[in-house]
Formats: sequence, C-alpha cells, structure tokens
Amino acid sequence: METETIKEAKTFVDEVAAEPGGEKINECIQCGVCSGSCPTVEWWQYPPRKIIAMIRAGKRDMVLSSTSAFNCVTCYSCMVRCPRNINPTQLIHAVEAIAEREGYKPKTPTLTLHRGLRDAMKQGRVWEFSLAMLFYFKTSLLEGIKMMPVAWDLISRGLMPLLPPKRTKKGGQEVTAIMKAVEAMQKSGGAK
Amino acid sequence: MEPKIGVYICDCGSNILGKVDVPKVVEYIQNLPTVTIAREYRFMCSGPGQDLIEQDIKEMGLNRVVVASCSPQMHEPTFRRLMQRAGLNPYLFEMANIREHASWVTDDPDAATEKARALVSAAVRRVYYQEPLETREVPVHPDTLVVGGGIAGIQAALEIADSGHKVYLVEREPSIGGHMIQLDKTFPTLDCSACILTPKMTLSGTHPFIELMTYSEVTEVSGFIGNFKVKIRKKPRYIDVDECNGCSDCEKVCPVTVPSEFNMKLGTRKATYRPFPQAVPSAYVIDKQGKSPCSVTCPAGVNAHGYVALISQGKFKEAIEVLRRTMPFAGVCGRVCTHPCETECERGKVDQPIAIRALKRFMADYELKNGREKAQPVERTKKDKVAVVGSGPAGLACAYDLVKAGYTVTVFEAADKAGGMLRYGIPEYRLPKSILDSEIDYVKELGVEIKTKTTVKDIDEIKKQGYKAVFLANGAWVSQKMNIPGEDAEGVMHAIEFLKQVSEGKKVELGNKVAVVGGGNAAVDAARTALRLGAKDVSIIYRRSRAEMPAIASEIDEMEEEGVKIRYLTNPVEVIAANGKLAKVRCIRMELGEPDASGRRRPVPVDGSEFEMEIGTLIMATGQAVNKSMLPGNIAYSESGTVKADEITYETSVKGVFAGGDVVAGPATVIEAVAAGKEAAISIDRYLQGTDMKEGRPEEKERVKDVPKKGVAKQPRATMSKLPVAERTRSFKEVEAGLDENAAIEEANRCLNCAVCCECLLCVSACERNAVRHDMKEEIVEVDVGNIILATGFKEFDPSVMQQYGYGRLPNVITGLEFERMVNSAGPTSGKIMLKNGEEPKSLAIVHCVGSRDINYHEYCSSVCCMYSLKFSHLLREHLPNAEVYEFYIDIRAPRKGFEEFYNRILKEGTILYRGRPGEITDVAETPYEQGKLIVKFENTLIGEKERLPVDMVILSAALEPHENARDVARIFNISCGEGDFFIERHPKLDPVATMTEGVFIAGCCESPKDIRDSVAQASAAAARVLALISKGKVETEATIAEIDEERCSGCRVCNLLCPYGAIDFDEEKKVSKINDAICKGCGACVAACPSAAIKHKHYTTQEIMAQIEGILA
Repeated sequence: METETIKEAKTFVDEVAAEPGGEKINECIQCGVCSGSCPTVEWWQYPPRKIIAMIRAGKRDMVLSSTSAFNCVTCYSCMVRCPRNINPTQLIHAVEAIAEREGYKPKTPTLTLHRGLRDAMKQGRVWEFSLAMLFYFKTSLLEGIKMMPVAWDLISRGLMPLLPPKRTKKGGQEVTAIMKAVEAMQKSGGAK
Repeated sequence: MEPKIGVYICDCGSNILGKVDVPKVVEYIQNLPTVTIAREYRFMCSGPGQDLIEQDIKEMGLNRVVVASCSPQMHEPTFRRLMQRAGLNPYLFEMANIREHASWVTDDPDAATEKARALVSAAVRRVYYQEPLETREVPVHPDTLVVGGGIAGIQAALEIADSGHKVYLVEREPSIGGHMIQLDKTFPTLDCSACILTPKMTLSGTHPFIELMTYSEVTEVSGFIGNFKVKIRKKPRYIDVDECNGCSDCEKVCPVTVPSEFNMKLGTRKATYRPFPQAVPSAYVIDKQGKSPCSVTCPAGVNAHGYVALISQGKFKEAIEVLRRTMPFAGVCGRVCTHPCETECERGKVDQPIAIRALKRFMADYELKNGREKAQPVERTKKDKVAVVGSGPAGLACAYDLVKAGYTVTVFEAADKAGGMLRYGIPEYRLPKSILDSEIDYVKELGVEIKTKTTVKDIDEIKKQGYKAVFLANGAWVSQKMNIPGEDAEGVMHAIEFLKQVSEGKKVELGNKVAVVGGGNAAVDAARTALRLGAKDVSIIYRRSRAEMPAIASEIDEMEEEGVKIRYLTNPVEVIAANGKLAKVRCIRMELGEPDASGRRRPVPVDGSEFEMEIGTLIMATGQAVNKSMLPGNIAYSESGTVKADEITYETSVKGVFAGGDVVAGPATVIEAVAAGKEAAISIDRYLQGTDMKEGRPEEKERVKDVPKKGVAKQPRATMSKLPVAERTRSFKEVEAGLDENAAIEEANRCLNCAVCCECLLCVSACERNAVRHDMKEEIVEVDVGNIILATGFKEFDPSVMQQYGYGRLPNVITGLEFERMVNSAGPTSGKIMLKNGEEPKSLAIVHCVGSRDINYHEYCSSVCCMYSLKFSHLLREHLPNAEVYEFYIDIRAPRKGFEEFYNRILKEGTILYRGRPGEITDVAETPYEQGKLIVKFENTLIGEKERLPVDMVILSAALEPHENARDVARIFNISCGEGDFFIERHPKLDPVATMTEGVFIAGCCESPKDIRDSVAQASAAAARVLALISKGKVETEATIAEIDEERCSGCRVCNLLCPYGAIDFDEEKKVSKINDAICKGCGACVAACPSAAIKHKHYTTQEIMAQIEGILA
C-alpha cells in the first residue's frame, strides 16, 4: 500500500460545502447512523458516511467516479436520524450534481435506470412495466428473465399495469417543460 | 465638590487594542470638559495598572473614575476595592465594557472604535452625576436548606451538619438515596453502590443536625442571602414516620399491586410500600393519587375500588365489610343499581369498564351461600331517639347510618313488610325477595326497630313519643294520570299498583294483549311482569325514541329478547271503551323536536297520524307522584309537588324534620335514594349534636387525574349467564346467574387501581402500632435558612421517542437504569439477567449515546454513559460468562482517573466494540438465523460496511436529562436554566457551584450530567461556600437599591404587588409605600412601574441614565 501525501484536502470539502445541500459537511461526527439507516446501502459502492469521510480526505476523483450517489432513493431515513441535522440525502444529491455536471458517466445499471426514468418522465408519468423492460434490456437480459416471477406477482396483483398509465395532456406538457428548464439551467451552469 | 474625573482605557493586550483604536478614543475623551485625565494602559487590572489609577487619585485629586475595559462581571469588584483603598466611595466609579460590547462583536475596526468612544463618553457623563452609596451588613442565618436527597444532597447536608450547623434536607420521594441507590455497581472501581451509599443515608437519617423532610417539596422561597424564608409542602404519607417501625404488616395485607418506580417498573409494589429495604426513613408510605373515579361518582359514596381490590385478592368477607361501611345493600344494589360508577370507570377507556355491579352482587351472593353471620348490635352511645318514616332505600340507609352512630332508631312502615319500592316496585326476577329480606334483617340486627303496618301522619305525635328528629322517606307511590278521555275504564291499570299487587302475591287479571305506556324502569318492569303472568302479546308505547328511554339499557335489551315489542314515537290520546270496558286505544304518531329542560328532544304530535290499537289491558307507567295525604299538613312542597327539602342538609320547612328519596326528588334511582338517606343522617346527627349542618358539605373529593394505561392488555369484562328466554317468560326466577369465585377474582383483577390506595383500611387493623393515618392532610412548614443548596438531580431519557430503537415496542430492548435494577441482587429478578420469556440472553448489544450527542434530543454528551456501558459489559461478563457482548459507540470518552484503565480492562475481557451508531433495531428477520432475535442494523464505520447483528437483548444507554419541572424549580429559587434546562452556574470555569442568586448554590446532576465522584466534589464545594458564609456570620446588602419619595407617593400600591422580592410594604398610617432596604435587590421593576415617578433607583437615577444616553448620542 502506498502512502499518499495529502494535497489540498480542503478544496474538495469546500467545493461540496458550496453546493446546495452540502453546506453542513463539516459538522459530521462520523457516527454512521446514515449508513445504518439506509435501505439501499448494500448496492452502494461506499456507504454515505464514508463518502463524507472521503470528501474530507480530498478523494475527489474516487468520490465523483463512484456510483454510490446514484443509488440514493431519497427516502430521507438518514435525514430523520442524523444527530447533527446534516441531511445526508441532500449532501449525496449535491455530490451527484457535481458528478453529473462534470460528466462522470459510470456505465452502471443505476445510471441507466435514472436515464430511463427521465425518459418516462417526459411523458408525464412513470410506466413501470416499460421502465423495467428498458432497464433489463439495457443491462442484463438474463437478470430480466430471473425477475419474471416477481414481475408476474406484481402484474397479477395489479401493482404493475401492462398498459401505459392514463396521462393527461397538460401534465405531460408540464413535466416536459420542467425537464427542459432543468436542462437549460444545467447548460447555463445556473443549476446551483 | 466639583467632579474631577479620571478615565482609564484598557488595551486588554490585543483583545481591545486589536480592534479599537484606543489612542483615538483617549484623545477624544481627554477633550471632554469634565475629564481631568484620560489614559491608555496595556492591562488596567494588573498591579501596575491599578497603581496608576491610585496614584492619579492621590496626585490629581480625582474624585470619580471611569475604567473602560471588560465586563463589570469580571473586574468591577476589583476597581471598587481600589476606590476604597484610595479613600473614595466605591460607587463613584463607572465601568464601560468596550471588550464584549465593542471589540469582540465586530470585524470592523472603525465601528468598534466608534462604539467604544460612545460607551466611554456615556460612562463619563453618567459618573458625573453619581452619588456616594453605603452598604449595610445583615446577619446570616446559620441554618441551611438542601433540596434533593441524592448523593449530592446527602453529601452537602452531611458536610454542613458535621460542622454543627442545622440542615433541612428536603426530598420529594419517600426515601433519600436518589438515583445512586438504584445502581448496582459504580465505575471504575466496581464498588457496590448501595454499600457505599447506605452508611451516608443512615447517618443523614439520624444526624442530630439534619432534619430530614422526605415526601416533601419546596413551594415558595422569599427573602435573600442570609435570610431566606422557605415554605415546604409535606405531602401526607398516611403513616406516622415516628410510630412506624417498618415491620411490613401493612404491606402484607394491602390488596393493591402497582409497578414499582424504584425498580423501573420491572417489579411491583403495594399501595402501602417502602421503595427499597434500606430506605431512610424506613417508614412505609401509602400512595394515594386522589379518589378513584368509581368511588367519586357513586352518589352514595360507596368505595367501589375498595371492595373490587379485595375481591381480586379473594378477600370476599373483608370486601363486603368495605361496602357495609357505607350502606347495607350489597345484594340489592348489586342487582338493580344503575351503576354510574361503571360509566366513569377508567378501564372503559382501554376496553370495557369493570363489572362493578356484578362484583358487588357476587359479594352478597357469596356471603349468603356460605351463611351470613349475624351482625353485632351497635352500642347506643347517644341518648336521642330518631324516627324514620318509610322503609325504602332512603329510610333504611338513613336508619343504618344513625344506628351506627349510636342513636336509637325506629322505622315506621305503612305496608305489611319493610323494603318500600325495593319490595313492591321491583319484580322478583330482578330482585329476589330473599336477598332483600337478608339485607333488611342485617339492618335490624344492628338494632334498628322497624314497625310495619304503621302509618304516620302527625309529626307532633311522634315527637311526643320522644323522637327528637324525624326523617321522612315515604316515597312517591301515586301513579300520575295521563289526563286522556276514557282513562278510568276497566282494564286500565297503573304500573305501581300492578307491580305491588303482583309482589304481594295477589291475582291480577290481564287481557291477552297488554300495552304499557311509558319508557322508564317501571314500564319495563310492568311489561316483563305481564309477560310472566301469561299475557300473549305485550308491547310498550313510548312517545320518544330508544335514545331517550330512561330505563336501564340492559333491561330493555332483555325485555326485547323476551318478546316485548316497543312502539316508539307513539302516544295514546284516547281510551275507547265498550260497555265501560277497555276495547281500543287511539294513538298518535310523534316526531322529535327541540330539546326540552331534561335535555331530551321533545316529542311533537304529527297531525293526522292517529290510529287505533285493540288492547285487552293498558298499563300506565307515565310517572309517580307523592301521596300528600300521608304527609304532615304543615310541610312545604316544591313546584313539582314533592316535599321541599334543603339541597345539602335535606331539612324540610319544619325544624327537626328531614326528608329524602322519592318523596323529595320524585321517582329516581335506588342509589340516589340511599345517598339522600345518608346525607340526611349526617344532618340529623349534627342537628342533634347542635353543630353546623352545612359546614364542609358537600364533601369535595379530588378525582385522580391521570391513570396510566400504557401496556394494559385488552381483556373483555366478565359476563353473567342468563336464563334462556323460554324459561324466563314462564317464571319469576332471577334472570342473571351471578359470577362464580374465579370469574369474580379475574374480573376484579382487571381493575386499574386508579387512585392506587383503595382505602380498604386493612392496613389500619394490621398495624400493631396504630401508625396508619388515612386522614392525614398535607402540611405547609415554614423554615428560616441563610443558604440554599439545590441538588435536584436528573432523570433518565425515555428512548421510546426514538422509534427506530423499538423501546417500549420490542420486549427485550431495555434502558440502562432498567438493566441496573435487573442486575442488582436485590432487584426484581434477584440479579438474574433474563429476557421477557424468562430465558437467559446469549448475546447482548449495548448502544451508547441514546438521546445524547443528538441535536434531535440532547445535544450534550451525558458524560457517564460510556463508562456505565463499559461497566455493563463487565457485569455481564460476571453474570453471564458465556454471553457475547457488543458495544456500539461513536467515541469512547474515558477522561478521568481510572477510566482509561477500566476501558482497557473491558477490552481485555473480550467485549467487542463496534464503532457506529445503529440505524435501527428490528425484529424483522431476513434469514432463519435471525429469527426470534433483535437485529441491530449499523455501519461498522471502521471498515465502512453496513452489517446486521442479531442479539437477544439490547441495552440502550440513555441520556441523563433534567427533571420535567426543572424550570419551575428554577423559578421558585429565582435562578436560571440554560440550554437543556440544567441550572446555570455563576461562572462555567471559576464558579461552578454558585448561581446568579446570592446564597443559592447548586451541586450534582441538576447543574450538568456528571458521575458520582464529581457530584460529591461539587456538593462538598457548595457546602464549603455555605460554611464560609455561616462562619463569617454576615453579608453586605445591596447599596444600589430603590427609594420612595414619600412626598410624591400617591399610595396606589402598584409597586407592592410588582416587587418580585416582596420588599415593598404599605404604610397604613402615612398611606405611602415603603421599601425594606434589606430585601430590595435593586431590580428596578418598581421604578419603571411607579405612575407618579416617586421611586428612584439610587445607582440608576433618571438624571444618570439620561446623561448616559446623551453621552452615547454625543
């Protein structure tokens, strides 16, 4: 193992702290309650507490190129339990925003999922069935076949309709407009 | 003398000079006309700095001084002493705070300089007008008050008492000992907590200089340092502390069991209890939380809680005696009472109310079944004779109470047999005559004479026979007519006569179709009786709806089961007779309109809805009236035609004649009649004894406020078996069968014991030393003390609010204090660590920082949890050598003597420490291995992985927090609470035992969370401070106080009420207010409030303040 000389550890913390949602990063006491509460942490490359530690250690590239941030489902369990009111959910989204902006594009299923979700959102509502199909076509067909019993279970209980959901014209237009506005803001660097 | 002012501006190193341009300020000040000299110096408070001022005073003849430096909190006393040394009055000095108020509060040097300049110029202008003031000395009372009997309070009290000065040690619990006595072992030395504390407790209890006041609370403090007046509320213990020898006889007989607070509710205690065996004082205490709702609600004041509690213990004989203290009718009221007690029963808020009436009946049935012993006649202790007219429930209840009070009582009854409505109005199937006979016999056995077949009309005649007082209880026996055409036809009867005839065994002819008019109990009784006499078709005609029916609901249900139909919203308007005999009844339909005086909706006839019914017999049950021909001629009546009697005393318009029951109230319930009889008995006794009949009546009963219901499992109430309907309608056999012994005990055990003590009084007879005093009242004691030490301690954080840890929901998640009790050999499990199912845990997790270091709960570190958690690991190692123990920590804090060594010891013992605060504790298993366990979900932060740890038991190391009423306590003692409600010390570093209020000191966990050693040290320090004051024997009073100008005072007294120290009195002679110099603290509240500006604050005169403002604005 190589011993590294720390250079400019502070710059990355300051960068995250300047991002909306990242402000309270310096107050973390590293207790780990966020990771302990996270329902999806087993799919994370690094648990949320460790991401904060890595940011403080100046591991910019490691953090931004990791897939972790893209696995947050925004359930806010960590926010409710954080003893320092840090709001780790927002902090993780701040990291995600930096990664998006800087074009870190890890080829991971989760990222594809996000893309697919966004496509669906252009139509106003999420059509779970097509989203699932898209996801497994883009990632692993074999995994998709393995999931078929689960899919059938959901379909038979009426939890995943085969037909696209009814969408109102107005709703679709509004969501499209929102997404366009977000894209425009991101391009102009105004998303901060 | 013209003021000569010297101004000294301090650099405070760079503290002030770093921001404030001091030379510039000096230059400005120097040019002010009144200033003789202005100087800058590096440290004004230093020796050379002070010398500089002193020298100037002497050489330049300065007579006023301004120092501009830090807060006067720090150095005002320093400079005032300097003034005195230099021969000047110390109040001709002013301090400007240009550090905390100028240099430290801004980044802008110009702003800091400007503000400093303004503050100093203000001080210069103010000091110009200051006047010399004198302090006075007052003596210090040598006694001390210590509040809180935990380790800190005990230590402080002993320190002071050992020096030969008196201490009042006030503790709100029944014993001193605090939390320390609950602990098993103490870290890091592993001393047995009780073993090291009990010697100090015992000493406190016997020390000649300590007056122990347990079960007491301070309610009011007035006065000032050296001279406090303290009011202490001594809660009634109901047991004489001096007489009680702690033999536990009372505890053994007490039927009420509740969770033990001392054992963190893991065990139980009785209502009569001693929190723990080594309690000081060792006397027992009776826990009374007011009166139980059932007992308060009963109109007759029957102590239902008392007999229910005794039944729960199988003490059936004792139970019925509790009832007989109030009245003789267990069997009667156990059957026919409308049981308002059950409506109010708190158990009803959990599932269903206790079946109180069924239990009351059970006691009577049980006694009859096992052969009732004859009652012992009561000794006649009073010479007077009392006559009771009428032997219904009211008359017998009155006779019962009077005979027990020692009077000679004769009951006059017009009918063949005694019992009144109980015998003739209530049918056999509801109240068997044998039951009634037995209970009337009981009254007779006590010595009441009942003369049946004796009508009394003339009161004077009775009085001539030697009766000194008369109670009229002849009831309401006349059926009211409906006043409709044809009412007198043959075949129309009245319910009361009908029921009476049936009761007397007379034959009554009924048609096949019987209709009863009315909705009360008499109507229901008449209908069911008619059915039993063989009527084929019985119906009830009632003008309102079911909701308005006054009859007992269960009776209506049973009646319908038996086949009686009810025609609601129907009213007869005419009886149609053929040949003088009833043939048909014309009725009209009704609808409900606006509510009437009784609160029920008034029925209104519907036009054109008339119809006819063919009826064989019509029974009217539409009300009963008083038979005036049976009453003395000179008595007054109320508007409703009943005898008029006083609401409280039941005295009638005729002196010495009392009346109650239906004859006064109109037809009402049995229990209300009993209540009236009992109240009349009190009046008659007082009348004959010549005392005030109204004093203290009606008796006020304090109903218990909050009844804990947490964790009470639902359990349906006992029901009695009933005769099958077919059998019921054929005979007059009793419908309900009553409860058997086991069912009664089980039912009685559902009781929540609302008031805790049930006042069964078994403890009174059990106590050989006559130490039990159920009539004890709370007492307010006033003491004079010179100093006060507060050591009110802490309470454990309740982790149930942190739902993710499942405390209160998951059975084997416990708190630290619960574990202390569990592991203690004298605890509820005798030191056995066990799961809820009684098994030993094989693996345990200890979670640190529960409620601490968490801004959602308490931001502070509770300081002791790391160490006590590590101690738990060690205790587990001792008690369960094979168990796996895991600790979840964020940081281990082990900073004091022996702590780090203890931490090492735990590590060596093999406890595994995981760094990470658990996210949650769940019982949802993901693998078979996890099944039935508690799973701790956490991140092992040292390897950065999320893990699941299944264990059998989880101990939450809960935070220490102030008591809920900490703010109230602070208010009483005039001190402040800081963040988290801990009391604020005078200075966090240099004065951690004093408060901002002189003479009030703090020690132990009420100041901040700390361990035993620190609490003891702080307590000793507080004691030393108090002893210093006692030994000096005097204190200086405030010189900067308010003063009233008598010429201007208008005597409005606004200030008298406003003064928080009670320092202002009104001079009745001069009609002006006066300030007591010794008590005034100079707060200035009165100065601001005085509408005629007659009050002046000696050190803050209007002139001084205006000058100061001018200075700031200059």
